[in-house]
Amino acid sequence: MSELVRLSDVTKVYQGGITGALNGVSVTVEKGEFTAIMGPSGSGKSTMLNLIAGLDRPTSGAVIVGGTDLAKLGEAGLARFRRDHVGFVFQFFHLLPNLTALENVLIPAQLKGSEVPGRARELLGQLGIEEVADRYPARLSGGQQQRVAIARALINNPTLLLADEPTGALDTHSGEQVMDLLVQLHGRGQTILLVTHDAKLATRHAARVLSVIDGKVVDDARLEGPERAASEVIRVRTEEASR
Amino acid sequence: MSLKYGVLGLLKGEPLHGYEVKSRFEAMLGGTWEVNIGQIYTTLQRLERDGLVRPAGPRGDRGKLLYELSPQGQKALDQWLGEPDSGPQQLHEDIYVKLLLATRVANGDLQGMLARQKRTYLQRLRDLNRLEERARRDGRLDLARLVRGALLHAEADLKWMDELSSERFGAEGARTE
Ligand SMILES: Nc1ncnc2c1ncn2[C@@H]1O[C@H](COP(=O)(O)OP(=O)(O)OP(=O)(O)O)[C@@H](O)[C@H]1O
Ligand SMILES: [Mg+2]
Repeated sequence: MSELVRLSDVTKVYQGGITGALNGVSVTVEKGEFTAIMGPSGSGKSTMLNLIAGLDRPTSGAVIVGGTDLAKLGEAGLARFRRDHVGFVFQFFHLLPNLTALENVLIPAQLKGSEVPGRARELLGQLGIEEVADRYPARLSGGQQQRVAIARALINNPTLLLADEPTGALDTHSGEQVMDLLVQLHGRGQTILLVTHDAKLATRHAARVLSVIDGKVVDDARLEGPERAASEVIRVRTEEASR
Repeated sequence: MSLKYGVLGLLKGEPLHGYEVKSRFEAMLGGTWEVNIGQIYTTLQRLERDGLVRPAGPRGDRGKLLYELSPQGQKALDQWLGEPDSGPQQLHEDIYVKLLLATRVANGDLQGMLARQKRTYLQRLRDLNRLEERARRDGRLDLARLVRGALLHAEADLKWMDELSSERFGAEGARTE
């Protein structure tokens, strides 16, 4: 495996912020990894994803993605980087209301000057929502909107898929469907960074869990995959019959 | 959980030999516990002494004895099934006591302890997730439900670690005394 993302001593202090949103974070992500980022509200998870996505710049430290130091890119270069390399999925979908599902999916491709309606339909099909392609977001369920957003994130074949609480606004069932999608994508080699509050979901799918507290990565747990015998995982205790 | 009522529950379906009780019990728990055959026989003998089970016919070949539920056993089982679980909550794990000690022992490395424990819980969640998937795949809905319960418990334990490591509990706890 080769390194895809490197944060070196990254600090982010927002304007007016008293303490840093990120305080000296150093972490690397390998190509093909499925990593979950967990931590309390306000700990800096979204800030971390935004910096990796090139949506914002660090106050100090380096963000290197696919060998490119993002600090070396100007605004236009950064926009191109985002368009070509990053797919971003948000908690609240962020679909444009006056465009149909299909048109929403096509936005990143059009920014690139490519017309790929066939691929967009194919993606919607893979995500199981081909029939809603011509509907407007207001007429879609939350789970459908999120799948449209995932299709949009994937349309340019991003090197990196970043998902910030993608199931946070969904009911359990739609949330699980969205997670299953991410798992399928990972199975096909997609590198994924997922922010989630749900430890059950995180550990079900991601083999690595980063814990962020107060702008620092306090733990980097690599979980073991091989299945264990039931008796090694759970022990139901029985007491002897009372006398 | 009580072996006594587990045995009564299994005998409700049909009369069984001791070793059948053992293998059905283990199958029911999906291999999450191995029951000692001696424990089964002791339990059956006690249940017979208390009139809750009785031999169904004479000893068969190799001295095997078939047991069935008596009417009193049936009553006891129904009553047990109808009662909610009460009594104090059982905490079996060492971490509950370690935490208390860590706040008292001067060199107790509370944060390190919490971080290591948290990792263990994350791994446990992953293992339980796998087990649940496997149970569902095998059509073992009953076992999947059991695992689901364990998952939610492990999640609560993990949340507890998070709470302890982010709040002032450590400092406060150390000051109390
Ligand atoms: N645009 C901004 N301007 C100023 N402060 C910000 C901005 N975005 C985030 N912050 C602050 O930075 C810190 C980290 O925020 P961030 O959004 O990264 O947290 P988070 O871990 O994603 O939280 P949540 O789980 O609630 O989404 C918080 O204290 C937050 O208030
Ligand atoms: Mg956030």
